[in-house]
Amino acid sequence: MDQLTTIGLNHYLTISALLLGFGLFAVMTRKNAIVVLMGVELILNAANINFLAFSKFNGGMQGVMFALFVIVIAAAGAAIALAIIINIYKIFKSVDVSSIDSLKE
Amino acid sequence: MHSFIQLSIVVLLLPLLSFVILIFFNRKLPRRGDFVGVGILGTAFAISATIFWQVVVQAYDPAFRVAWDFTWIDLGTVPGVGPLQIKMGIVIDNLTSIMLAMVTLISFLVHLYSTGYMKGDKNYGRYFAFLGIFTFSMLGIVLSDNLFSIYIFWELVGLSSYLLIGFFFEKQSAADAQKKAFLANRVGDIGMWLGILILYSQFHTFSFQEIYANLAAGKFGLSNGWLTAAGILLFMGCVGKSAQFPLHVWLPDAMEGPTPVSALIHAATMVAAGVYFVARIFIMLTPDALHVIAFIGACTAFMAATIAITQNDIKRVLAYSTVSQLGYMVLGLGVGAYSAALFHLVTHAFFKACLFLGSGAIIHATHHEQDMRWMGGLSKKMPWTFATFTLATLALAGLPLTSGFLSKDAILAGAIGFANVEGGGIFYLIPVLGFFSAMLTAFYMGRQIWLVFFGENRAHLKPADDHHHGHDAHAAHGGHDAHDLHQEDHGIHEVPWNMRAPLVILAALSLFFVYSPDPLDGARGWFMKMIPTPATVVGAANPQKGALLGGVAAPAHAAVAATTETHGESAAPAAGVHGVAAASHGEEKGIHTYPDPRQAEIIHAGHAAHYTAIYISSAMVLLGVSLALIVYVFGIIDPDKTALAIRPLYLFSLNKWYWDEIYDATFIKGSMALAKIFTWFDINIVDGIVNGVATLVRKFAFLNSGFDKHVVDGAVNFTAFTVNTTGAVLRKLQTGKVQSYIVMLLLAVFGYFVFYVTRMIH
Repeated sequence: MDQLTTIGLNHYLTISALLLGFGLFAVMTRKNAIVVLMGVELILNAANINFLAFSKFNGGMQGVMFALFVIVIAAAGAAIALAIIINIYKIFKSVDVSSIDSLKE
Repeated sequence: MHSFIQLSIVVLLLPLLSFVILIFFNRKLPRRGDFVGVGILGTAFAISATIFWQVVVQAYDPAFRVAWDFTWIDLGTVPGVGPLQIKMGIVIDNLTSIMLAMVTLISFLVHLYSTGYMKGDKNYGRYFAFLGIFTFSMLGIVLSDNLFSIYIFWELVGLSSYLLIGFFFEKQSAADAQKKAFLANRVGDIGMWLGILILYSQFHTFSFQEIYANLAAGKFGLSNGWLTAAGILLFMGCVGKSAQFPLHVWLPDAMEGPTPVSALIHAATMVAAGVYFVARIFIMLTPDALHVIAFIGACTAFMAATIAITQNDIKRVLAYSTVSQLGYMVLGLGVGAYSAALFHLVTHAFFKACLFLGSGAIIHATHHEQDMRWMGGLSKKMPWTFATFTLATLALAGLPLTSGFLSKDAILAGAIGFANVEGGGIFYLIPVLGFFSAMLTAFYMGRQIWLVFFGENRAHLKPADDHHHGHDAHAAHGGHDAHDLHQEDHGIHEVPWNMRAPLVILAALSLFFVYSPDPLDGARGWFMKMIPTPATVVGAANPQKGALLGGVAAPAHAAVAATTETHGESAAPAAGVHGVAAASHGEEKGIHTYPDPRQAEIIHAGHAAHYTAIYISSAMVLLGVSLALIVYVFGIIDPDKTALAIRPLYLFSLNKWYWDEIYDATFIKGSMALAKIFTWFDINIVDGIVNGVATLVRKFAFLNSGFDKHVVDGAVNFTAFTVNTTGAVLRKLQTGKVQSYIVMLLLAVFGYFVFYVTRMIH
């Protein structure tokens, strides 16, 4: 019972893994580029949960600091990604990633 | 260098100059350059006459001899042959100087005559050019001092005779005749060359003088039979060139050439070369070789004489008479009557040239009629031709007071003497054939004179369809047409002066006093004194033979020196020649001394038989002439009926003993059959081999191409195919979609994870 009532490291890690799975799933299956970007944000946040959980149970502040950096970089990445998506839309008149395959050429 | 040598080089090269000028520039010169040829030959004759005068008349020395030579080609020592050095040289002795004068004189006269006879011919200039090279070649033979250069000029004579015999080459018969002459000569020349090689193999020199010196010194390393063979092989050259049996067939056909050329061939240049050559090699001929030569000469003389009596073509009769007279010369050489044979060569040259030029005049005047049956009665219309022709005929028949009598009688006397010495019954055949031929000669020449010059003109009797001969001649002459038309207006008339003058000169040279003060004995004349019989070198060369004959082996040069005595005293008949030791006998009488007793005996016996020969030959000639008179003048015997009565004999003679047919059936058919066999061999065997190889190569190539196509190309294509397939598969992976790449990335990470975990577990 103790294990159910007390929130331990494993709970955090499980949540993080689930979040990662959802993120990956979204990245791999969604057609809309913005949704894909959302999946990427999920993955980043899964990583953040891991950092914070290990930081809390290790007693140091490094994990927290790293998570902060990740949030900042994720914000910058989202801005750049949205700019890319707008450009893609300009060129292909679509944000459907399955129809954009000019990389193979 | 002796001045004679220098002069003779000039004489030799002048006709060549004429040839070169005329062959290249005759169209640029006025009158097609005929004056160049005539002028040059006139000059050559003048120089030759100078040499003749100084050698024969002024020096008057039977042993006169000037020689000069230079090394032409020096090949050093040739492996398997030994030292090979080819020299060229000139020798001038009495015989050479006489021949020089004779050849250039006759050639000059023929040139002069041709300016009239060939007038208007389209190849007029070329004709004179050919005459020039013909004369040049003959002079080369006359002047040569070695076998090699004689052989070169010998072939040149063959070439120029080929060119001139086929001068009217548009005519098929002329083209055939020239080929026939060339081939028949070639047969003889092969033999001659083999003979030269036999001598060369022994002595490594071509020079006459060196060969004879070696022979006299007994250096001939092979058996006596080889020496005889060498002699007979060399004689084969003469058989071809001088138209001896069995290679005589070309000469009558050579009548297809222009008539002045016939005169040149028959008198001075071609046929004389053969006899001259045998005279040059006379001293190395063994008795056996001489016997062969004598019999061939006798057969030729007789056979040709029997053919001549039935021929109807005026030139053919003369052609066969030439063959017959050449037979006499060869017979004379064979029996050892050396001087007489050469004497006959010269006298015959003049009267035969006269006869041919005379017949040319007749042909010219009668618009190319050559058949005697349609002539007749020409004596009044052509008095000059008639007179000269008759005189030359008398000389040919051998009537007294002519040159022909002197020389022919000397030969026949030699033949009798030879038969007496040899003693065998078969050897008497030679003088008998000789005398019989003399009779036949008188008969057929009488017939010719009568048919051509006497009686009524029978031109109108000529059947219309028998026109082809004259017609052909017209077609071939081409340019003559205008000339002929001009003549039709006047009918038959005497020829112009430039054709008449040679006739007169030649006829004058057929009289006895040119050669001898005694009309019955040529031996008293300058000619036979200047050309003594040289001593043989083969008696000394072969000790066994010499011992057999009881001879004294003395060097040849000493013998030549010993022959300076003259024949003058020799006419005295001496009974009982046989059994007398000839050498001592000769000394007693003040005649020659020979190291070879056989030779001495023969010459002596020949002198002894002199009067016998005169009686028999005169009787024979008279018989022949009277037979001709009986048949053709008095008409007591009808020639046509006689011919019918002895038809097989008549046909045998008319068809020239069927020699052409025999050769056609044997050699020509044989060559054709051989050619067919070779053709078969070529087509089936040689071509078969070639085709077989080709098929093999093709098969191999086919296999090779299979390998190439399937294995090599297969490997290449398979590589390409593999790459292609791999590419096709891998291309599918590159979708260009970011999401699929992420899937692959995940899969790779997963795969690595599984791999890593399994590694960790184990």
